[in-house]
Amino acid sequence: MSRRPRIRRPDELAAPPRFAGRIVDAELELLDRQVFDPDSVQVTTVDDLELTDVDAAHPDPDAPPEILCLLSGPVFGTRVFGGRPPESRFERVDWAHVARLTTAVALDVTAEVLDISWLERWFRDRVIARIPGGRHDPE
Amino acid sequence: MKAISAVALGVLTAIGGFVDIGDLVTSAVVGSRFGLTLVWVLVIGTIGICLFAQMSGRVAAVSGRATFEIIRERLGARLALANLSASFLINLLTLTAEVGGIALSLQLATSISPVLWMPVAAFAVWLVVWRVKFSILENVTGLLGLALVVFAVAIFLLHPDWLQLGSQLLLQPPAQTSESPTTYWYFAIALFGAAMTPYEVFFFSSGAIEEHWKPKDLTQSRVNVFVGFPIGGLLSISIVVCAAIVLLPKGIAVTSLYQTALPVAQAAGTIGLIIAILGFVAATFGAALEVTLSSGYTLAQFFGWSWGKYRAPSQAARFHVVMILSLVAALGVLLTGVDPVQVTEFSVVFSAVALPLTYLPILIVANDPRYMGKRVNGRATNFVGLIFLALIVVASIAAIPLMIVTGAGS
Repeated sequence: MSRRPRIRRPDELAAPPRFAGRIVDAELELLDRQVFDPDSVQVTTVDDLELTDVDAAHPDPDAPPEILCLLSGPVFGTRVFGGRPPESRFERVDWAHVARLTTAVALDVTAEVLDISWLERWFRDRVIARIPGGRHDPE
Repeated sequence: MKAISAVALGVLTAIGGFVDIGDLVTSAVVGSRFGLTLVWVLVIGTIGICLFAQMSGRVAAVSGRATFEIIRERLGARLALANLSASFLINLLTLTAEVGGIALSLQLATSISPVLWMPVAAFAVWLVVWRVKFSILENVTGLLGLALVVFAVAIFLLHPDWLQLGSQLLLQPPAQTSESPTTYWYFAIALFGAAMTPYEVFFFSSGAIEEHWKPKDLTQSRVNVFVGFPIGGLLSISIVVCAAIVLLPKGIAVTSLYQTALPVAQAAGTIGLIIAILGFVAATFGAALEVTLSSGYTLAQFFGWSWGKYRAPSQAARFHVVMILSLVAALGVLLTGVDPVQVTEFSVVFSAVALPLTYLPILIVANDPRYMGKRVNGRATNFVGLIFLALIVVASIAAIPLMIVTGAGS
């Protein structure tokens, strides 16, 4: 004896999304995700997101906040321990550079040209490249 | 033919790479103090590491995400940072123990003081991590580690009283021991921690990405793990048995690496001793490489830095800086004059404390179809996985109180 699947009446269905496309839970599927450049080089992890300003007291349902940038650097410390770094200490990747979202975030620019990779470049040029063999592939 | 030799190589390196300083020391200590009454822990621990190593390898091959990326994605920034701090510190403790183990093994071979060998050992580990390709590094130390088979051979050369050994296996304590139950359970947890050390999972999952595993490589990895690790576990058990046959009746409780090798020396003479020491050097050196890499893997994966041995060091700069600093820190601790064997004993117990931090996120993600598609865990795997998770949590909670009550097993 097989049960027929119950067909929901239209008024039981949830309201359709107001925006077309895939819906992503930013906290679950963006925060703390690995970011790659087009050559599969790790760039950073999404430490935080910078959103457009909204009036928190009177949120406007027709103008939800938009994501401006992926953030990294000192914002990680303040996300864990509280507080907020000064604007000048924000390390950003423009949201326009985000090409794809899978289990990781894919960018359409190489890590080399991004400001956010400065610390990697600093350690490469000042430390690692100066040790003999640092620029050679492992054998 | 090529495929068969690849499988054989994988299995052999899994066997030879299974044993590290934690297993060498803890197995010998346990055998010399408790006979074979704790061998069941090694059996359970080996099943556990097979299960979770394979699971983390499957997650890495299918989703392309290594273990610490997953830990951060699943636990969130705060909890993951606490996890990273604990895992990284325990990893450093393990690294200290392994580098010390290399120095002690080289002392056995040369009679030169371990303090002189420690800088050499740390430098050699760095040089290999810096220059040598991942596959060579993994295979050479794994194959040399097979020298530890000499412990299994020694059992037969010692002509033991098999009946008496059998009754110890069935938890009949040997007449010579007078250990309290709390000490027994303390060492049970130490042995469990030694078998399931978290770095093995970090290394295994990151290694899957280093070697660009795809889902089609999973059969090979399954064979490596489910054949290689149990045989590696048998090597650990052989060390326990050797200590139980030779050291226990004489009342020698193992406190140094030298005593671990004594039964082999008695059974197989100088040749046996040379092979055993070769095995010690290979096992500790191989493990030191894995732990050094793991310290880089954990931090780089957590913060999203470029990492990997498949790149030149300059293409993964911070990853290499972390490994250099970790080796310097381990060397610094060793040069204060601490006893590497004691560091080892602490490192395996703290590993047991940290186990749930690593294994819970793996189990969660292995069930998440957004990462795994159709290759999520089957019901049987989840059933066994949950049983192990319960065991791991119990061991983790009990470890520190038992350590205090027993005075660290003294």
